[in-house]
Amino acid sequence: APAAKMAALSGGVAPWCRGWLPALQFVRRGSKAVTRHWKAMHFQRQKLMAVTEYLAPRPAVPPRCLAPRKETVEEDNGYVQLLRRQVEEVFRDNRMIAVCQFNSMPGEDVVLMRHYLRKHNIEVKFVLNEIIRPVLSQSKYKNLLPLFVARNILLVSRETKVKEMLRVLKGVPQINLLGACIDDTILSRQGVENFAKLPSLEATQGQTVGALALLPSQTSSLLQRGSAHLTALLDQHISRLQAAETGSPAEPAPAQSSEAH
Amino acid sequence: VPRAGLKKYVLPPDYSGIVFPERTKLKFMDKVPAVPKVRREPRQLRDIRGPSREATDFTQGQYGILALGGGYLHWGHFEMIRLTIGRGMNPKTMFAIWRVPAPSKPVTRKSLGHRMGGGKGPIDHYVTAVKSGRLVVEVGGHCEFGEVKPFLTQVAKKLPFPAVPISRDGLREMRQEEEEKRLNNQNPWTFERVVTSNMLGMRKYLSPYDLQLKGRYWGKFFLKHRV
Repeated sequence: APAAKMAALSGGVAPWCRGWLPALQFVRRGSKAVTRHWKAMHFQRQKLMAVTEYLAPRPAVPPRCLAPRKETVEEDNGYVQLLRRQVEEVFRDNRMIAVCQFNSMPGEDVVLMRHYLRKHNIEVKFVLNEIIRPVLSQSKYKNLLPLFVARNILLVSRETKVKEMLRVLKGVPQINLLGACIDDTILSRQGVENFAKLPSLEATQGQTVGALALLPSQTSSLLQRGSAHLTALLDQHISRLQAAETGSPAEPAPAQSSEAH
Repeated sequence: VPRAGLKKYVLPPDYSGIVFPERTKLKFMDKVPAVPKVRREPRQLRDIRGPSREATDFTQGQYGILALGGGYLHWGHFEMIRLTIGRGMNPKTMFAIWRVPAPSKPVTRKSLGHRMGGGKGPIDHYVTAVKSGRLVVEVGGHCEFGEVKPFLTQVAKKLPFPAVPISRDGLREMRQEEEEKRLNNQNPWTFERVVTSNMLGMRKYLSPYDLQLKGRYWGKFFLKHRV
């Protein structure tokens, strides 16, 4: 019994050693925990790794079927804002704005044209449609929107010298006038030509003033007509009497003349 | 009809908060430390196992090489890194710093062709231990990731453990992705859960270190696809 007991405890150690080994000893065989090669896993561990793998979420409706969310890229650079402000300034300050189609011209021709227009105080501005379109659609110039489609330029000025502008543009075949906005009135090409044919503002003003002043100028003569007529008659009568006093042979003549009157 | 629209100018990158160290090039690392070790050290492979606790985040630089596995770097690796990066970068506009210490752990080797026994071999060379998730080198300066990536990938391929070049943003995104994966995992059974509650007596087949490693590390390898 003691031998069996000793054998069962620690496998034949002397009876004065009272320690005991654990009943269950895992067999530690094979390589260490950290190896250069991929250490083979215990099958149970492999099963555990397979069970606890990552499962990606699957929504009920796949995102392909949903409408794509258009990510609005509203960057609005400072440059774009600056250009917009410039365009708004142009529309506010100038009286005459003409929109013309711009086909490619040689550089020196462009410079010459600008020079001639500058002499009449007309500026040439190159604008980008993508900036001008939103600006116009929000302001009151909505009807100018269809003009800004292809490459175009703006001729802006504070005075309305349409005749000179048309003369310069006639000499440049690559620029075609599409329309104009003069004093907040939108004119087509025909309208601009008619506007050019009109006399200048000062002349028309003078005409209207003259037409208006015609009647008042006549009122004084109208009012005085009766008295003027009477004074004329009396003057004649006096002259007739004087003629009768001066010479009797002149009587029949003044009498005839007075009868003629 | 193709037309030219407004050109959107891209602003040049802002390198305002970048401080250059004194020496922009990588320091020369010694083969043997200044005081060579007399006492031969036990192998202690636990300095390779598991995630790294130091040098996991960027300090001075913006881009770096992240280790995705454990391993030892010896002097040959250090020279390769130093020379490749020195060749690839511009010392005037970029700088590079080490994030690993010089080799200090002695590795013994027995002479070739001898049988087992006869004591521990003499010290052969020195190494530094690198755990996964640690940065090896950091590069920064007035440069973009695209400029730095070619020579960093060249270096990363030659390292004894899997490594990738990353930037600060890349690291942040990697961590975010891991977090998201952990949160939106549809599998109700996770390794962590099974181990901590010892379901089905699994701890008999797992190591006590698996409580911390949680199934993402196996030996020196880092299993990126797990949870």
